[in-house]
This record gives sequence, C-alpha cells and structure tokens, in this order.
Amino acid sequence: MPDMLMLPEIIVVVTAVAVLVADMFLTERSRARLSGPVIAGLAAAAGALLLGANRPGNMLGGQFSVDEVAWWFRLVFVLAGLLTVVLSSDMLSGRVAAPLRPVGYPGEYYAVLLLSVSGMMYLIAARDLLTLYVSLELATIPVFALAAWHRGDSRSGEAGLKYVIIGAMASAMILYGLGIFYGLTGTMSLDGIGRALRAAPTSPAMLLAATLTVAGAGFKLTIVPFHMWAADVYEGAPTPVTAYLSVASKAAGLALMFQVLLRMLGGQLAGWELTVALFAAATMTLGNVVAIVQQNIKRFMAFSAISQAGYLILGFLGPAKEAVPAMLFYFVVYLVTNMAVFACIVWYGNETGREQISEYRGLSRTNPLMALAMMVGLFSLAGIPPLSGFVGKFFLFSIASRAGCHWLVAVAGVNSTISLYYYLRIVRQMYIEPVYEGAVRLPVRQPLGLTVGILSVAVVLLGIIPCLYETIHAQTIAWLARLLS
Amino acid sequence: MGLVTWLILIPLLTAAAVVATPASRWKRIRWIAATGCGLHLLLTAWVTLLYWQAASPDLAAMKSEVLTRLYLVQRAAWFPSLGIQYFVGVDGISMAMVILTSLVIFCGVLASWHVETRAKEFFALLLILVTGVFGVFLSFDLFLFFMFYELAVLPMYLLIGIWGTGPKEYSAMKLTLMLLIGSAFLLVGFLALYHASGMHTFDLQQLAKANFSGAFQKWVFPMIFVGFGVIGALYPLHTWSPDGHSSAPTAVSMLHAGVLMKLGGYGALRIAVYLLPAGAIAWGTVFMVLTTVNILYGSFGAVMQKDLKYFTAYSSVSHCGFVLFGVAALNLVAFKGAVIQMFSHGIMTGLFFGLIGMVYGRTHTRMIPEMGGLARKMPWLAASFYIAGLASLGLPGLSGFVAETHVFFGGFFGNQWTSQAVTITLTIVATMSIVVTAVYVLRGLAKVFQGPIADPHFEHLTDADLSEKISTGVLIGTMFFVGLLPRFMIDLVEGPLMPLVNRLHAVGAAAVH
Repeated sequence: MPDMLMLPEIIVVVTAVAVLVADMFLTERSRARLSGPVIAGLAAAAGALLLGANRPGNMLGGQFSVDEVAWWFRLVFVLAGLLTVVLSSDMLSGRVAAPLRPVGYPGEYYAVLLLSVSGMMYLIAARDLLTLYVSLELATIPVFALAAWHRGDSRSGEAGLKYVIIGAMASAMILYGLGIFYGLTGTMSLDGIGRALRAAPTSPAMLLAATLTVAGAGFKLTIVPFHMWAADVYEGAPTPVTAYLSVASKAAGLALMFQVLLRMLGGQLAGWELTVALFAAATMTLGNVVAIVQQNIKRFMAFSAISQAGYLILGFLGPAKEAVPAMLFYFVVYLVTNMAVFACIVWYGNETGREQISEYRGLSRTNPLMALAMMVGLFSLAGIPPLSGFVGKFFLFSIASRAGCHWLVAVAGVNSTISLYYYLRIVRQMYIEPVYEGAVRLPVRQPLGLTVGILSVAVVLLGIIPCLYETIHAQTIAWLARLLS
Repeated sequence: MGLVTWLILIPLLTAAAVVATPASRWKRIRWIAATGCGLHLLLTAWVTLLYWQAASPDLAAMKSEVLTRLYLVQRAAWFPSLGIQYFVGVDGISMAMVILTSLVIFCGVLASWHVETRAKEFFALLLILVTGVFGVFLSFDLFLFFMFYELAVLPMYLLIGIWGTGPKEYSAMKLTLMLLIGSAFLLVGFLALYHASGMHTFDLQQLAKANFSGAFQKWVFPMIFVGFGVIGALYPLHTWSPDGHSSAPTAVSMLHAGVLMKLGGYGALRIAVYLLPAGAIAWGTVFMVLTTVNILYGSFGAVMQKDLKYFTAYSSVSHCGFVLFGVAALNLVAFKGAVIQMFSHGIMTGLFFGLIGMVYGRTHTRMIPEMGGLARKMPWLAASFYIAGLASLGLPGLSGFVAETHVFFGGFFGNQWTSQAVTITLTIVATMSIVVTAVYVLRGLAKVFQGPIADPHFEHLTDADLSEKISTGVLIGTMFFVGLLPRFMIDLVEGPLMPLVNRLHAVGAAAVH
C-alpha cells in the first residue's frame, strides 16, 4: 500500500491543523494542556515510522520518495520535534521563574512547530527541485516566528529579525543555485540532474550552482563563515526553540547537503577534499575558541553547536559507503546528547531564571542527578569515552584520516581538547564551586525528569551497544547501491 | 564471563555499589570500596597463577612465535563493520601492570580511609578511574585501548578539583588538558595505523603483521611516542605532573604517579616500539637524549623543593625518565629495566604519596623546613619513609635497585643503530642522578624526621593506625619481594619483551642489506 509511505508526514500535518482549530475553542487554562495531544501526535508519527519499517518507495510520480537514509532523517526530525514539545510545555503553561517570561499562545506555537517539522520531513523525501525548495521554506519560515515568540522581549525580536534576514539570504542563494542546476540539465528531478551531471564535464556554471546551494545549506548547518547569525538567535530565542534550532535545523541543513552533494553531485566531489577540510577546520576551531569566553549558556551552546557542525562535515571527505553511516550515527548521537543538555538548561532556567554559566554553581549538591545528566551530556559533546559522542567523533575522524588528512585529525583532536576546557567550566561550576547560600533542592517535574533520564541512558548506551551503528551501516549500503545505479 | 573481563568489571561494579549507597553512610561506602579492591587483589593473584601455569611451558620453549601469545583471551566483535572488537587478554607485561595497579588501588583506598567530605563521589570516581587503567593494561584492540585510556584520564579532573589542595582548579585543568592533547596525538597515530595497514582492524596482533613503510613509521612513531610521553612525563611535556600530583588528594597522587604515568611507558613499548620498529630505530637517539634530560631535570628539580609533595613529584619525573630511557635504548635488558622500573616506581611512589598524606593529615603542613623530629612521634611512618627513600636511590635489596641496574646496563650496552659513544655518555650522565637523588632524599628525610621536634604541636601526634599500617606494609613488602627475589619479575616480563627486540633486529637487518 504505497500511500502509507507518507503516513508520518500526514499525522504531523493533521496534528498541526487539529491543534490550531482546537485552540479556537479552548479556554486559556485548557490550552496549557495542549502539549499532551501534540506529544501524542508526534509519538504516533514516530510510531508510524518505526512500525512502517525502513522500506524504500515512491509516491506522487516519484516526487516524494523515501529510502533508508530519508527514514533516519525523518526519525531525527520527529524526535527533535517531540523533545522540543516536551521542553516547551512548562514555558507555555507559565511555570517559569522570573526574569524569564512564559511563552504565550500555545496553540499557535505548537502548530507552527509541527509545520516546521513536516517541512523538514518533506525536505529529505523530495525528489524534484520544486518540492525541495518549497519544503525547505516550510521548514524554515515557521522557525522565524518561533525565534521571535517572546513578544515584547527585544532580544527575542532581534533574534527573529536577524534570522529572517539571514534565512532569506540563504534561501535566495539556494534558489539561485537550484535554478542554475535546472538550466544546466533541463530537468527538475534530482536523480535526473544527478545522471545528467555525471555525464557532463564540470563547467563553471555547475561549480557556481554547487557553491551557492552548499553555501545556503552552510547557513543552516552554521558552517564558518555562514555562522554569524547563530549566537544572537540562539541567545534571544526561547530556550526550547534554541534546542530545536541546534538540532532539527542543523539536521535540515545536513539533509539538504545530502540532497545536493550526494544525490545531485554524487561522485563529483573528487577535487573538493581540501575545501571541505578547510571549512571543517575553520568551523570547529572558531566555534571552540569563541565558546571559551562565553558567559551566557545559550550563546555558549551556540558556539558549541557550531564546532559540532565542523566535526560533522568531516564526513564529506570520505567515500559515501563509510561516511554516510558515520554522519547519520553522529547526528543521532548529537540529537540525543544536545537535547539532554538543553533539557537540563531549560529546566534550570525555568526553575531559577538563571542563564549565566557562573550561576550553575553548586548544582551537584542540590540536584545531583540533574547535574550528573548535564555532565554526561557535556562530556559526550566533548567526545569523552565511553559515551556515544566519543564513538561518533571517532568514526568521523577516521574518515578524515582515511582521506589522508592527518593534519585535520590533529586539528580535530586538539579542538576536542579545547572543547573539553570549556565544557569543564560548567562541570566546575556544578561540582567544585560552593553552593548558593540557602539553596534547596529544585523540583523536577516528572515528564522532564523522565526525558532527561531516558536521554542520558541513551547517551551512554549508544556508544557501548553497537546495534545502532551497525543497523545504519547495513541500511546505508543498500541505499548507496541504489543511488549509484 | 572470562576472568580478565572480571578484572575490569570488579572496580566498575564496586563503583556502582558505592553510587547506590546513600551518601550519609560514608563509613559503609569506604568498606564497600575496600572490599571491592580486596576482592580484586585476590582475583589478580588467581589470574597470575593461571597465567603462570599456562605460560610457563611456552616461556620455557623460548620460541618467538609463542612469545607473542596472549592468555585468558576473550574476543568478541563489537563494531564489526569497522573491524573493532572487544579483545582482552594478558601477557607478562600486562600481568605485571595489573598486579601493580591492584596493589596501589587497594592501598590507596586504605589511605583514603578518612575522606569524609563527599565520600561517595570520591570513591566512585576513584574506582571508575581505575577501571580505565585496568582496561588499558588488558586490552589488545587499539580502539578499546584508547577508550579505556581516556576513561582513566578524565575522572582526575574532578578528583583533583574537588578534593585537592592548593591551586587545585588550575592544576586539575592543566593536567586534564595536557593529557588530552597527548591523546589527540595518539588518535592521529592510531587512525593512521588503521588505514595504512589496509587490514580494516584495530587488533594489535594483526597490525603487527602489517607492512608499514619506513617513511610512514618515521612520522607516526614520534606521534605515538610523544602522545604517550605526555602521560609518561617526557621532558618538556612533564609540567602537568608536579602541579597535578601536589594538588591531588593522597589516594589520587598515589594512583596517578604510581599507575597512570605508567600508561605512558606501557603504551610506548607495547604500541609505538612494537608496531613501528623502523620508526623506533630512527628516533631512538633523540628520545634517549630527551629522557636523559628528564632524569637529570627531575632530580635537580627535586633538590630545590620545600614542599614534600612537589619534592616527590619531581623525583617521579626523574624516575619515570628511567622508564622512557629504557624504552628508547632499544635492547632487551633496557626494556626489562623499563618494565621493572614501572612496577618498582609505581609501588615506591605510591608508598611515598601515601606516607605524605598520612604525615600531612597529622602535621597539617607539607613544608619540609617546618617539620623536624617526627621520627620520635611516628616511628612506623618514619621507617616506612626511609625505606621508600632508599628504594628511590636504588639501594640493593629493594626493587629500585633491580630496575635501575637493568636500565643502566641496557643504556650502556646501547644498540647497533646508535653510536656506542653516545649511549655510553648519555648513560653516564643519567647515572649521575643517583647521586643527586641520594642528596635530596637523605637531606629531606633527615630534616623531617631527625633532630629536635620543630613545633610544640607535634608533641601530641600519633603513629600510623591499622589501616595505614596495612597499606604501607603491603607496599613495603612488595618492594622487598621484588628487590630480594627479582627472578619473579624478570621471568614475568622477559618472554613478552623478546618479540619486540626480535622485530627491531629484523628491521635493522633489512635496512643494512
């Protein structure tokens, strides 16, 4: 039954519309409970993905097509959306300590968020230029609104505006690039473009098109020098939105890179190693060095996320057979880890209103488990074994080494050490610095505590239990065989 | 599950038991930790016996193909698509190191008997750290090795940062970052080995069969050697060690100077020299010079110190220099010396730091000029201190003598790839440090323990209690055992070291023809 292929997307969109409609008829108090149905909807979408198994197939005359890699991306998007909703629910129901403010309009918030998730899901499943571009916009434009959701807070407004302008520029570049691809090949189909480009010699126009689209995707992935917007937007946006930006939006950037670099330009990356290596080195180094001096934890996480993107694109140095599973694995691990850290940040912010790194002092004495979860997450981001972040990074570094870029492995290794320095700054506040005068144990609400617990266990287990990587690996092999045929 | 896996799991399970105990029951926590480490010691003894039983016919045969054999091996695919496996086992070298670690952690827990502040976190971290150390010594897959290696380094940050003294945050950060920069080099080297071998495996024994080109070995060898050199306190990358050791709490100094620094010598020997013999030949002289500086610099540094911990930390730099000197000298006698020195120095320095902690717990000062006449009040501790001091200056009958004579003989014999004049000169220069060691050890100990009692507060001090007597007694006994019956240690490590030398000669011979 081919129509079932789109079931997860349909569930997400239907939930979005249902929430929007229900919102009109609800009282203020019951609106706060909308997170329940939204979580149920996203969980149903995740369930549809998991139960539908990872089978390839086409719909709509081949414009919508899912395959093994797309399946993983869709899972990442749904999970990122789901976790963001869990993180948002306290803020939307007004359980926020001053000076942070509660976020209003839960119905619209959830609807907009769900639409963005659906856009990302269509993005990786798109097989022609038009669908690709429309779904990219559907994924991005709602996030502009989310970033500016704190009405009346000038930082949030600035974040939204900045993101609109930069996002529009990136979209324009992508659109221009896609247009040139169409002009070069005369077809809208991504696979058709791929075949045509493989047959044709490299032309300057093709290089221009590739550069423009990859740069546009670079904005989403926050590759240096396209990262400038990240810190301000991450700081100004409501914290759950920051979490969503740092995970889902990056995943969308990676999905776009996959569509462009692997599907359309597949096999033509031969001369690009040095360029990719330089961008990777610049991204991880700048992200890490600037993170050292940050005081606000959200800005800090912005730069940490930039450096993570630098590690991620090491994967484009190697043959797809090893690189694609390594990148997918890394991203799943990054999703779990970053969301675990953000869950702690959101929780601490909601309970105390504190957002500065120095204000985390003594957390290990008042809430040892939350501090432990945060430490595990930070260590995983730093790539400390036996946590999954280490394994993910190791596989990516291995690809750089295989490509002969030993210097880049050294740069990446030294960068990991630098990153450990600043992650340890938070650990130091939590574990070594004295506790606040009269600090008491902060309450942890059950859904959030449960989420943090599950994520932390996943952070540990994904590194030790090989099945996730091996599954991704086996599925990617099948995917590649089809892609290159 | 195999016995070797239990050697790694026991500390981890003990840590889990500690975590599961409520923090207010700190007395129970220390008992749990001590029981776990005691059990581990028993298991280590059992494994040693089994190893001995299995290995002695092979060792007697002295054939090169059986000498690389591992015992009690356990192997399982882990990330099969990348050729990563869970691969643990023992040979003589790792057996020696496991015995050392098991002894030091047991005594370290006893020496931490009076840690009350946040005792739960302390013992849990200590046990996690030691899990990493056992893992490193027992794993024969480079991925697994690297994983355990970093696991062993990181808990140090919190252990020093929370329970340390003096500029603890600075020292903790310096130590962690320097060691991780070292592991960044290791990572480059390991990945390069993996890809250059073309064998799609991290298995150490398989990689040994790969044919690495000379040019490749020449750049990867220093990467790995220096990477391990950082933790082995190779000059000029040793600067984390005096700060780190003196800020750390007692048990952590014991474990760190006693065991963790040995990871450097162990890795340099087992991975760098074993896998990259041509690289070792090319760089041997350079590293011999650097380690000679190490030995002298450390001992002169120790002369200048006023703080007992800095004093011991610098002397550790000097003694760990012997380990790396032995490795760089590239012959069997020197290798044997290096491994025995790792063991001997581990025990000795564990004893030193343990004693310093015990003395400091009583006098509340570590400054040598402020102390005096303590022998009258604490004869047991004073006697132990003297024994440790005499071992460190290489008195015959104690373990230090066996180790240092091997290293010096080895250095003196040299190898056919370095001019004999150079190795002899370097060895003679290095030997000078013995004299310097005698100066600072005897002078320092005399000031602390002899003479009139320097401070009226010292009149009321007490001698070692039971846990302290057990802890120091075990370590002293071990030093005498190795010193008086060196045969045991030599037999243990000699066999597995032969293939290293054979490989060096094979490569050296090929280069001549």
